[in-house]
Formats: sequence, C-alpha cells, structure tokens
Amino acid sequence: MPVRVVETTSPSHSSGQDLSSAQPSPPSCSLLCAGRSFCGTQNVSSLQKDEAWKVNVRIQGCDIEHGFLCGTMEALNVPLADTPVVTFWEGEIVDAKNHTFFTGKWEATPEDDIRHWSKFPSFTPLLSQIEDDGGKSLDLSNYPYIFMRWKEQYFVNVGADCGLTIAGFYYVCFSCTDGSISGFYYDPNSSPFQKLELKCMNAKPGGFSFSSYELV
Amino acid sequence: MPATAAVAPPPTAPEQLAARLSSGDSDESLLPTLREIKNQIIGNRTKKLLYLRLRAVPKIVALLSSSSSPSPVIIQAAAAVGSFACGVEEGVRAVLDAGAVPHLTVLLSHPDAKVVDSAARSLRIIFQSKLAPKYDFLLEENKTFLLSLLNSTNENITELAASIVAHSCEKPTEQTSLCDAGVVQKLVSLLGGSSNQRDTSLDAISAIVKNNPEVATKFVSISNGKAFNSLMGLMQDRYPRTRLLACVCLISIEQAFPVYFQEMQIKTKLILILLDLIEEAGRVGDEAPFVLKGLIGESEELHRQALSVTAAERLCGYLRKGKAVLEARRLEGILLVLAELGSKLEQSRAQLIELQVPSLIIDLLKHDCAQVRVAACHVIKNISRSLKHLCAGRFGSESIVMPLVQLLCDSSTSVQTAALDAICNVAVNLTTKKSVLLQSGGVSILCQLARSMHSEVRLKSVRALRNLMFLLDRKDKDLILTELTVSTLTILISDPDPLVQEQALALAGNFVDGSGVSTKFIFSEDISIIDAVSRQLKGECSPGMCIQGMFFLANMAAENESQKDAVMDCILPTSLDLSISHPNSFLVTFLQSKERLLRLSTLWCLINLVNPDQRNSFRVSALQGAGIISQLKTMVNDPCLDCKLRVRMVLERCLENRE
Repeated sequence: MPVRVVETTSPSHSSGQDLSSAQPSPPSCSLLCAGRSFCGTQNVSSLQKDEAWKVNVRIQGCDIEHGFLCGTMEALNVPLADTPVVTFWEGEIVDAKNHTFFTGKWEATPEDDIRHWSKFPSFTPLLSQIEDDGGKSLDLSNYPYIFMRWKEQYFVNVGADCGLTIAGFYYVCFSCTDGSISGFYYDPNSSPFQKLELKCMNAKPGGFSFSSYELV
Repeated sequence: MPATAAVAPPPTAPEQLAARLSSGDSDESLLPTLREIKNQIIGNRTKKLLYLRLRAVPKIVALLSSSSSPSPVIIQAAAAVGSFACGVEEGVRAVLDAGAVPHLTVLLSHPDAKVVDSAARSLRIIFQSKLAPKYDFLLEENKTFLLSLLNSTNENITELAASIVAHSCEKPTEQTSLCDAGVVQKLVSLLGGSSNQRDTSLDAISAIVKNNPEVATKFVSISNGKAFNSLMGLMQDRYPRTRLLACVCLISIEQAFPVYFQEMQIKTKLILILLDLIEEAGRVGDEAPFVLKGLIGESEELHRQALSVTAAERLCGYLRKGKAVLEARRLEGILLVLAELGSKLEQSRAQLIELQVPSLIIDLLKHDCAQVRVAACHVIKNISRSLKHLCAGRFGSESIVMPLVQLLCDSSTSVQTAALDAICNVAVNLTTKKSVLLQSGGVSILCQLARSMHSEVRLKSVRALRNLMFLLDRKDKDLILTELTVSTLTILISDPDPLVQEQALALAGNFVDGSGVSTKFIFSEDISIIDAVSRQLKGECSPGMCIQGMFFLANMAAENESQKDAVMDCILPTSLDLSISHPNSFLVTFLQSKERLLRLSTLWCLINLVNPDQRNSFRVSALQGAGIISQLKTMVNDPCLDCKLRVRMVLERCLENRE
C-alpha cells in the first residue's frame, strides 16, 4: 500500500498528523496514530483449554488517506516461545474508498465478513447498508468507530518455524471515544472467534502524549 | 632507386599563424593560414583555448564581413568560427562576443552556395550552445526570415532553421505564433528528409509543443494524424539518436495533450524503447534514462506500467553489468529512474528491495561524481519510505547508514542535503534494535549541521533528529539533547525559517514524549524550552508550528504536577495581556481555528491538564477564567468527530471535578 509522504519542498505533513481539513475526511482519530500503544489480551481458548495471551500493540505508521496502517504486535506468555513473540502487521481501514467491509481475499467470503463484523455491537446499525456492496456508499467519517482488518506479515524476533501461525487476520473495531480495540481472529484452520481486547495505553502517568515522525 | 620520402612540414606555431591573421590582408594569401588553424583546432580543446588567448577569433570573424574577402577565405573563416564554437564554452563566448552571428546570418544570402553552406553549418553549431542568443520569433521580420530559411532547398539552411527553433522557442506566445505561421507543418515535412534534418526537426517540434495543449492539439490534427503517425514510425528508426528524439517529441505531446494518449500501448512502447536505448553507446545512452524519468514522471499508472515490463529488473541489470564502467551521466540517469520508481508505490519499493537495489548502489554513494552520489541518496530516500521495510530494519544496517553519515561531510552541499534526506527516513528506527545512527557518530554531525548557516541544511538535519527521537529510549533521547544542547534547540525554535521552527517544535515534542523527562532539560535557569515554545505560540506563527507547539505542551502536561503547572503558566494570560484587554488565553484562538489538528492538539493539552488529580479544581477554575471553558461549550457539536469527542472528554472531566 502506498504511504503518504511529502516532497522536501513542500510544507510538512506528519504520519498521524493530517493538516488538511478542506476535503471530506476519511475516518480518523488522534488516538489511532503512529506511536500509540495498546495492551490487553487475546483469547486463544480451544475446546481443550482456556487460554489468553497478553498482547501489546504499537502503531508504527498510519496513512489515513490510503486507508493503511501498520504496527507490531507482541504476544507475551506464549507457551511455545521462550520470549515474547513480536509480529509486524499491516492494516486496512474500512473507509468505503480504499477498502470496504468485504475482504475479498485471505479465504474470507462475504458471509464470513458479515458474520465477524456482526460480532461488534457498533456494526449493527450499518449492516443493512453493507449487505449488497460491502458499504461502498457509506460515509464513515463521522462514525465513532473505525473498522479495520489487521494482517500479520512476518515474525520480527523469532523464526517462522516457531510453531505459531500468522496465516489468518483480525477483524478489528476501534472506538474513537476512548481508543479501545476489540477484534476477532479469523483463520479457517484455527479456533474461531478468538477475541482480541485492547485498551489505549498512556506512556505517561498524567495523560496522553504524542510522538511523530515525517518521511520525506 | 629508393628515394627519400617526402616529409610533411612541421605545423606552424599558433603564435605565428595568429600573427599572420593580423597582417590586414583579406585575400587568398590567408587561405593556408586559415586552413591550418582550422585543422589544428578541430577536436582539440587545448588548441582552441590557445587560439582564443591569442585573440584569433575577432580577426577571423572580421574576415566574414570584409567586402574584400573572396569566397574561399569566407568559407574557411566560417568553418573555423564553427569549430571554435563546437563543444567549448569559451569558444562560443568568444565567437558571440566577436559578433559572428549577424555576419554569418548575412552570409546566408550570399550568391556562392558554398559560402551559404559554410555559414549555415557554423550557425547551426553556435545555436546548439545554451549561450547562443535567443531568436525573437515575435518580431514579424524574424518570423518571415525563419520561414524563408525553412523554405530553402538547401539542407544546411533548413537544419539551421530547425536548430534556431529548437534553441529559442520557449514561451507559449512564441509557440503559438510559430504554429500559426505554419512552421510546424514545415518541420513535419523535414521529417521525411535526411537523418540530420529529421533530428533537428524533431528537436524543434518538441520545443514548439512542449507544455502547450493548443499547439499539441493542432499538431496531432496535421494531415489527419499523418504527422503523428510519422513520429510513431520514427520511434523504430534505425538510428538510435532519431529514436531518442522521436521519444522526446512524443513525450512532449503526451504531456501537453494527455487525452490523445489514453491508451497505454503507446506509453508502454515508449518505456520499452527508452529502456533499450539506455544500452546505446555515447550521448544517446547517457540521455535515454533522463528521458525515461521524464516520461514516467509522477504518474502512478506509468510506474505500474514500467514495473510490468520489467523496467526495474533491466535497470538493475545495467547496474550489475557495468556500474564500474558506465559514464557518470548514465549512472546518474539510471539511478534517478530507480528513485522515481520507488517514489510513490509500495509495490515498487517492495520490488526494488527484492532486487537488492540498496546493496547494489551502496558503493555509488562513494562515486567520484557528485551527481551520482546525489542520485544514489535519492534512491535510498525513496525506497526507505516503505514503512514495512523500515519496521523490518532493512535500512538500519551499518552498510547503508555509515556511507550516508560520511556524505554528511561531503564537499558538495547538494550531496549533503541529499544525504540528509535519506538519513531523515532511515533515522525512523522502528525496530527494537539500537539505531546505528546513535552509534556511528551521526548524531554529532546532525547536531552540528543543525547549526548550519544554510536554512535548508538546518531544516533537514532537525527533521532527521526529530525522526531519530521518535519513540527512542529516555536515555538515548537525553544523549541526543545533551549533544544538541538546550540552547541550540531553543534557538532553532525561534529560527528565522518557519519550517525549521516547526521541525524544532516537533523535535521538542518527541523529546518530552514518554515518561521520565528530566526537568534539567525543560527548566534551566537561563534557557527554558517551554519559554521558547510559549513565545512562539503567543506570536505570529503558522498553523503547523502551533500544532507542534501544542503537542509539546500536551506531552508536558501528561507528565506530573509541576509540569502541568508550567504549562498552565504558559497558557494563561499574563498581566501584560490583561492590561491590553486580552483577557483570554491564546488557546481560545486556537480552539476557534479552522485547522482541525490545531483544535485537536489544543484539546489534548486541555485533557491532560484536567486529568483527574490533586490540583485539578484550581486548574479548571483558571481555565474558566481564561475563557477556555466557555469556548469549549460552543464546540460540543464540532464538525470534526475527533474534536467533538475530545471536547466532551474535557467538559466531563471538568464536571467530575466540580462534583
């Protein structure tokens, strides 16, 4: 996916800090920006046992205009691993322009899509408008939730033979109000509806802080 | 019987020959002198310069205008003048200063055809130089004269006319004037002539249509499209130079009249032909990559198309085969095309990385030619826009970073600034490994460059430091600021260049992001970063600067009580403000801004200030008194959802505090 960058001769725009306010905006939120951290759990329970991994997520880059973001996911207390396992993921923001609610790949059918999106209460008001075309004509710019798909691309600190899989992807719902995230992992070969629940973290004791970079 | 072989007489010394020119003669006795001078200077830069120093040119030019000069003398003199002007800038200058152009122009009407030929050839050489005067096509008499040249049956004269057009035609008014006068049709007719006529005509047509949609439209309509088809045919000409010029011409038309080129087929053909031409010897191969870069330009569609016809693989192939032997100009061109391909699309960057382009070009960062070093930096800068690969640490290795750091001390400023741009991107270390930049001495150099006299260098180095500071460990942040010094940072925050100010504010914001900020950096006795930020925010500053300044204050306000208090002191009106009837904080103005991010950054600062803790009620009252709470109440239905949510967050916290 293209990353929005600036030419050196033009005024600066930062990842996660969009100076443009003239055009109708894609869905965006200042809590969903490069540098932001989230922590919580992923329920990896199966029929055999209940299990949850602690998870930390950090957003590394965010290009709202192209509906793209990326980051890392760190899973702690993974039984098969001696250390926390870190993966790099790329995300698609459902904005009706770059991406719709229909995945169209990763072995997810429209039925799978609707089944998973419907697990989010915030999706229910939108259902009737997306059944035909995935929501191409929806205006989500003022909706207080941002829907995304996150797909892990590679392991950062362990080998691909670590016994873990990153074949699936997450359906994700982000709350613009408080930055909380819930998600469901989809992989036809894994336990269904493994739930991801994250809260926005503050690196500082007294509130939210922001960091930024600018690619040229 | 064997006889002694005839020995050629030794060449006469230039000083002697030049002295003979001063004899005052203009008759045929000068012929041997002129011939010998001409023969000595052809292809010999040293001899040309020597004769220039001997002031031979004015004397030779004088022969062109002397009424007593017989034709053979004029022919040789004209040829010598042309030779002086060929490929040597000083020679062109000398010829122009001596007034050769008007004399040669008059000779175009000479009764002796050989004189006309010689004059025309020399003028053509002169008009190939950028130093030649521009011909004013808007003067009617000039246009008429040009048309008479184009109508000539003499090939040298028609080539000259086309050269004059190619050299001089720039402005839209000139383009339109020539087009209306029928010059384009004349040039099209030359496309069927000799190879030289075709080439000069192609050059001239490119100049007339360039960036002019009206003229381009007329061109494609000539003879119901036959002229355009001729151009298409010339793309397959057996001469590489003609193929290149045909491509240049078609690209000029495409850029002026893109609708005519909607089919991708022609553009694909152009890409393929230009890729082939890069393999040609000489100037054609050197210039072809620049033409290709001009074609694919900033078009994502053409980038995709170029990738689909394996442009990246072929360009890498050229580098692998011959980067040690390729001319600098060609290397530069190939690198610039690769940089262009990596500039926009993530798929392109991924492909270039897969082709090992960064490793392939690392040694070109040390090339003798500055333009090659610059171009290599551009490749790295553009490819490193890939967040995916930045996260994978692909650009953080020593093998890439160290040569770039060395280029920060390059003797050429353009190389320094190109290296700064590349470092700016690779400085964004998104891996868990410590940045090589921190260990390489690069920080020291960046901090020095941040004090440069050149604002562009300051801007780029501060931006690089900002990127380096992103999400860094506290210890490393402190090290960087110790190296830069608080004093320098406060000076940069007040830099004369607003763009530098903005980057410095962002750098400060990144510094105070994260926990454990040492107060020694923020509050010192003499210099205070927060005071510098405060001064900027209260002055006339751009929205970009205000946004960064507010994020800095927001980050400060997220730390602890004393820093929240410091932020309050900054944002509350001072007694001076009150005395000049400004009872409200400048934050009120920011909250009223049309810039969404400015409202947002201000709101986050307020959210952090009223974060539930000990001194909240005092802060809420103070904000009330400064008009901020009232302003917030008018924003509960802000058109931006993010702002609306933050306004509610602040007001809810203020309300909780009251309860």
